[in-house]
Amino acid sequence: MSRKLVVVVLVMLVLVGAMSLKTVVVAHGDGSVIMANGGAPLPPSPWKNGGAPLPPSPWKNGGAPLPPSPWK
Amino acid sequence: MPGLLDYSIWVLCTLFEAGVVICAARRGVFRRYLALNLYMLASILVSIIRLKILLAYGFGSAEYMYCYYYSDLLLTIGLYCALMTLYVHVFEDLGAEQYVRLGAVLLLLGTAGFSFAIVQQFSTKILSHFVVEVSQNLYFVGLVLTYVLWGAILKLRETRTRLIQLVLALGLYFSLFAASYALRNLYPGSRGVWDYVTPLSGCILPLAWGYAFWQVPEEARTVPAHLVAVPR
Repeated sequence: MSRKLVVVVLVMLVLVGAMSLKTVVVAHGDGSVIMANGGAPLPPSPWKNGGAPLPPSPWKNGGAPLPPSPWK
Repeated sequence: MPGLLDYSIWVLCTLFEAGVVICAARRGVFRRYLALNLYMLASILVSIIRLKILLAYGFGSAEYMYCYYYSDLLLTIGLYCALMTLYVHVFEDLGAEQYVRLGAVLLLLGTAGFSFAIVQQFSTKILSHFVVEVSQNLYFVGLVLTYVLWGAILKLRETRTRLIQLVLALGLYFSLFAASYALRNLYPGSRGVWDYVTPLSGCILPLAWGYAFWQVPEEARTVPAHLVAVPR
């Protein structure tokens, strides 16, 4: 049983380490994605439609604090 | 739209992948490293499908984009399984295969769960976001796992040269992609260069694995400590 718990702890450590590394690497990224399989040309990022700069978030109008979600 | 050089690199990479399978089959180790060879076969198949869709619908089409990102997730899972079989090879003497399998399944589920938690905030295209997010996260999990495996090889004093070569090639492959991605963001002005460096990096893994299967005999031994020792 204890060996299985060790495996669970190691899995969580690897997951945390990997996500931390990802945060460091893509923190200043432009939203493009890392694709590492084969030599096929990378298609445009699925999150970008055109090269226009991103507009301000539509959810912020002024500096007022956000009210509670209406869906809850 | 990809040019002649893009297509050349792509074809070269696919040929190297076919070379890995041929080398492994000729040396009689196809079944011993089954997951690695199946990954290479899957990569060849995916390349053919991608090419057909690219030629039929075009580079900027939604069809090519969906085909690329969805197939990339399948390939990343395949590479993850290949990496896990390398873990099994390293830990087989300790009789820890069942724990490696348990860890692999838990880590895959954990990565999928973490990715789903991230993409939940998107109200539209949740499946597409999920596919790309899992692929990205699994890539970084693979990167960390490769370095952990290299640490285990050093600690356990693993001496099988071919196994060491396979693991180091994987580490180099993952690191190159992460480094080129980071450098591309650091120097966005030289974007044209990275458009070629990234696909070229894809040739490293099949080339190194093909070399390991063809040139390095199964019984060859290396002391890994000598690989990391700094001469004084």
